[in-house]
Amino acid sequence: MTTIADSIVQTEALTKSISGKAVVNEVNIKIERGDIYGFLGPNGAGKTTTIRLLLGLTKPTSGTVRLFDRDIRNHRLDVLRKVGSLVEYPSYYGHLTAVENLEAVRRLLDVPKERIDDVLAIVRLTKDAGRQVKGYSLGMKQRLGIATALLGNPELLILDEPTNGLDPAGIQEIRELIISLPRTKGVTILISSHLLSEVEQMATRVGIIAKGSMVYQNSISHLREQAISRIRFTVNDPASAYPLLRSSGYEAEWDDRSLTIGRADNASTAEAVALLVKHHYDVYRVEEQTASLESLFLEMTGGERSL
Amino acid sequence: MMSMLQSEWIKIKRSAIWAIMAISPAGALLTGLIAGARGASGTWMDALTFISILHAMLLLPLLTGVYAAMICRYEHAGGGWKLLFSLPVPRTKIYAAKFILIVFMVALTQLFLLAALLIVGWINGFPSPVPWRELALSFAGGWIACLPLAALQLFASTALHSFAAPVAVNAVLTIPNVLIGNSSRFGPYYPWAQPMLAMIPRGDGGLPDLTIHIAPAALIGSFVLFLLTGWIYMMKKPA
Repeated sequence: MTTIADSIVQTEALTKSISGKAVVNEVNIKIERGDIYGFLGPNGAGKTTTIRLLLGLTKPTSGTVRLFDRDIRNHRLDVLRKVGSLVEYPSYYGHLTAVENLEAVRRLLDVPKERIDDVLAIVRLTKDAGRQVKGYSLGMKQRLGIATALLGNPELLILDEPTNGLDPAGIQEIRELIISLPRTKGVTILISSHLLSEVEQMATRVGIIAKGSMVYQNSISHLREQAISRIRFTVNDPASAYPLLRSSGYEAEWDDRSLTIGRADNASTAEAVALLVKHHYDVYRVEEQTASLESLFLEMTGGERSL
Repeated sequence: MMSMLQSEWIKIKRSAIWAIMAISPAGALLTGLIAGARGASGTWMDALTFISILHAMLLLPLLTGVYAAMICRYEHAGGGWKLLFSLPVPRTKIYAAKFILIVFMVALTQLFLLAALLIVGWINGFPSPVPWRELALSFAGGWIACLPLAALQLFASTALHSFAAPVAVNAVLTIPNVLIGNSSRFGPYYPWAQPMLAMIPRGDGGLPDLTIHIAPAALIGSFVLFLLTGWIYMMKKPA
């Protein structure tokens, strides 16, 4: 157990109903200092609404939000000082240049002027900093949004679908940037996405939301364990072999040709084979069936594919 | 508060607001000079009456609405409200800064128009002395009488996502000024007519049928009401 002081984001039974329908339903999020929290779910699952609730942009129907272990109802401005965010789509003033955009925000955050050059360099917009933002590509606007979020040296960075509109090289850049932040600056990050593959390589923890409810929240390694291979045995009489495996403690399934056991490591696979042979079953084949993280994700979110 | 105003200033200084601000003074300058070139002689009070009828009856209320809409336009367009509301700034400050900027723009408009009037009078050789007191009262009065309208238009412009909607509503409600401004019963209570009632000089130089006075209580009451309504809306505004 970590101490309470390390809790950066904590929600309790956070609920938001819009015209009677719970778009966010009893969500409990827990993010600790230094986490890169991948907040996943199909489009329309409630990710952006949850993020708006975290920032106090909209008020919950019930439940609480604590940032830095303080209730945002009473300490919203204090905690927002430590938060940088990019919600839904980047906010920008099209008639201003990138530098002017950042300057308009910098005045309100009271950070040194050099910080503008710093964040422009981080998102690689230095070269285009003097151009009006309305002429920017979506990817550049996205990068400006990330620069704005970074401007106040936040301890918590909330990025809602930050790779939207970016090309593969841009996605890779943002990914590298995000991975480097907690290491170099002790920043905690919440990053939302509808694609598991996008956060899989950087997240330390994942929360999966579907139809407004959290369906999974744990470390990414725990999720990987869930997805590791299942072993399929093709045997001569699966129906009668099935109770044998069950009685020996295996989570088994069967059909008319084969038996499948879940979460089998080398030792338990070997024991299962020995057990079957000992009871005179003919083992024709032993195969590994790898469930990808993506299919596990789809299974958890009710198979709703988002394109 | 200074930093909030500086931030707003960065956004407004690069917008088209300055070109719009030039309309009224430039129009006054042009008509004044053409009249002078045609040999029309005039007095300061004639010119003030002429300018304030056109300006205060129509342009000033229209411009107040346009300024309010422009100051909110870039927040609606690029997700600015969401950005502002997720920064560590109280909404009251955001609201106050926007209101202060609108009334500052209206004040600048009045100053430029006054400057245009002085230039016209100087070139056309209006008889001295310059009636400073009357000019100051007229221009300052026009500005003060715009405050309720500015508050109302700020409310409309924050609530309505489109730029055109609050401006169009404002225009539609400004046009009846021609009639309502002449009504001693309704004029003093109509926010769009108040600037003209305050600005048109009365007494010697003023038109005899335009001596309806503004009602200070109505002005202050509507100002407080509109400002509070807009502020409450801003505090609850979804982003």
